[in-house]
Amino acid sequence: MKKIIYIIILIGLLSGAQNWAPHSAHPLPEKRWEMGFFQPLRYGYTETLEVSLHPLLFFVMPNLSVKIPHKNMGNWSTASRHSLLYPTPLLNMLSKGTKIGNNIASLISPNFLIPPMVGISNDWLMSRSLAFADITLHGGIDLGIVFGDLDEQSSIDLPLVYHRLGVYYNTWGLDLGIDIFRQLTKRLGIHTDFDLRLLPGLSGSYDVEHKLLLVWTKSEGFQVCTGYKFVYGQFPYGDEARFLPYVPMAETWIPMVELQVAGNRKKP
Amino acid sequence: MNCKVLLIGLALVYSCEPFVNEFHDKISVAKLYEATAKTPAATTAAPRVITWNIRFGAARFPFYGDSCGDKVIAKKNDIKDNLDNIVAEINSLNPDIILLQEVDMFSKRSGYINQIQYLLDNTAMNYGCYASIWQVDFVPNYGLGRVDLGNAILSKYELTDAERIQLRLRTDQSGLVQYFYLRRNILKVKIPDLNLYAVNIHATAFATDDTKQEHVDKFIQVLADIDLTGDQFIAGGDLNSLPPGAPVIDFCEHDMCNDENFHMEGIEPFHKEGSYFDNFDGEPNILQPLYGAYAPAINSQVMNNPEHLTHAPSTSNERWDIKYDRKLDYLFTNVAGGWVHGSAATHQNLWLLSDHMPVSAVLNLSGD
Repeated sequence: MKKIIYIIILIGLLSGAQNWAPHSAHPLPEKRWEMGFFQPLRYGYTETLEVSLHPLLFFVMPNLSVKIPHKNMGNWSTASRHSLLYPTPLLNMLSKGTKIGNNIASLISPNFLIPPMVGISNDWLMSRSLAFADITLHGGIDLGIVFGDLDEQSSIDLPLVYHRLGVYYNTWGLDLGIDIFRQLTKRLGIHTDFDLRLLPGLSGSYDVEHKLLLVWTKSEGFQVCTGYKFVYGQFPYGDEARFLPYVPMAETWIPMVELQVAGNRKKP
Repeated sequence: MNCKVLLIGLALVYSCEPFVNEFHDKISVAKLYEATAKTPAATTAAPRVITWNIRFGAARFPFYGDSCGDKVIAKKNDIKDNLDNIVAEINSLNPDIILLQEVDMFSKRSGYINQIQYLLDNTAMNYGCYASIWQVDFVPNYGLGRVDLGNAILSKYELTDAERIQLRLRTDQSGLVQYFYLRRNILKVKIPDLNLYAVNIHATAFATDDTKQEHVDKFIQVLADIDLTGDQFIAGGDLNSLPPGAPVIDFCEHDMCNDENFHMEGIEPFHKEGSYFDNFDGEPNILQPLYGAYAPAINSQVMNNPEHLTHAPSTSNERWDIKYDRKLDYLFTNVAGGWVHGSAATHQNLWLLSDHMPVSAVLNLSGD
């Protein structure tokens, strides 16, 4: 059961809604924290350092990310984001799978042992407010460092998952994207993004992702997002496009809903 | 504007495809393939026909799903090496028509190879058609991932009117298992140059209900429909059924894996799925109507002889020193001249290339 929860969180983490503009170049104010079920815990450590990690996944997939603001470039606010990820324990857990009757439900064949791997991401973020919306551009390089033999056939060939883990099979990748947020009313906003992920040389060498979310902010401490995610990408077997989340068994839509909470830690 | 709306609509529909292709149509068009470079082929009155279950090019790989194996994903290079061995044998036998079962198309377990195109491009076969029996974007069972497995017919001559005829699903499975499970079919195609239909089936292997009877009955009906219109056919495949009068109908002991027990009161199931051939009334003689109505390549005088056994589970040799212990693969025709006398063979020497051995024979179209 625990493994199923981890899988749900992993998928959610990869496809989930955005909270209070975590992709913008603006770090959280000092002592403010935000988190969602599918989102990492973000914390404004100082005015010039935002730290984030996913607490539910941390013990099976240690992860840490920091965002550091830099000098403005004209009207653009800038920041860099640096992330470390150690997915090996989670992937090996997914490989062992969960016994259901006489079968093993798993995303990776139990024949594979995933070696120690470290993912490093470095992104540059630029944000500015325009008359019609707030926009953020981002681009960066991802590195996958593998300590051992990683069998290329151990990949999880699912939309979102394949290209995020692809960096370990390809050793490097690039990502580019744009986030746009427009406040429609006092409480209601719309958030959309377009992301391109490139893995030059891999058999599934790119994916394009787009997300559209309606964001309702009840208060400074509570927000609800819902919407869809669209993915188009190249996989080892060819190209594929999908809307997510989607439950094929019921052939129906399950709206993506994310509840998010936030608060401020008292300054000493 | 309307065009844009249509394109967006199509994109949405495509995007919303379910992960499993359920093949709702009883009859649908089967996909056609051509060799990248064609080999000239003169029509013949004596075409050689082969039926071969190639086990997705995995040879005797101890796959978890159909033997006592524990492996899931075969190495791509191993699959290519084995496909090259199959190619060499096809080129050596020089058939005109091949009925293939268990052909993988872009499946993870076999290195995402388009096996039909690989065989067309490396043999003298020029045309192919394909009907999937298992097309799932991601099978979350032992990390199997994407699977597309099916029946194919390859030919030196052009193929037309390719049909995928859906067979009934098993009724002895839960809804969830059935959703992700195989959807078997009959593949039927016309070969105008030979004035002939080719019909290929891979009947159920593991059903414990009457599904096998349904599959064989449907096969007989498809052949009868061709016969009634005065057309000719060659037909065959992996019928997963024993010849009438087979001396052994229970292989549970041979097929039993280390952690299994059968034939013991209180232990369910009593028989191993796929290893017992008397699940319902008449199963041991289920193929009698075919033998009665049409000409078998391996005739009824010799069909139960040891030299015509075509199958043993992939791990039987290492466990029991058994290479083949039952006949499951067949060729039939309604052509008046039948098969050329003495041309039929069961190629048991190829036992290492699959868990099934090919059966071949030369058709006598001239009637001499």
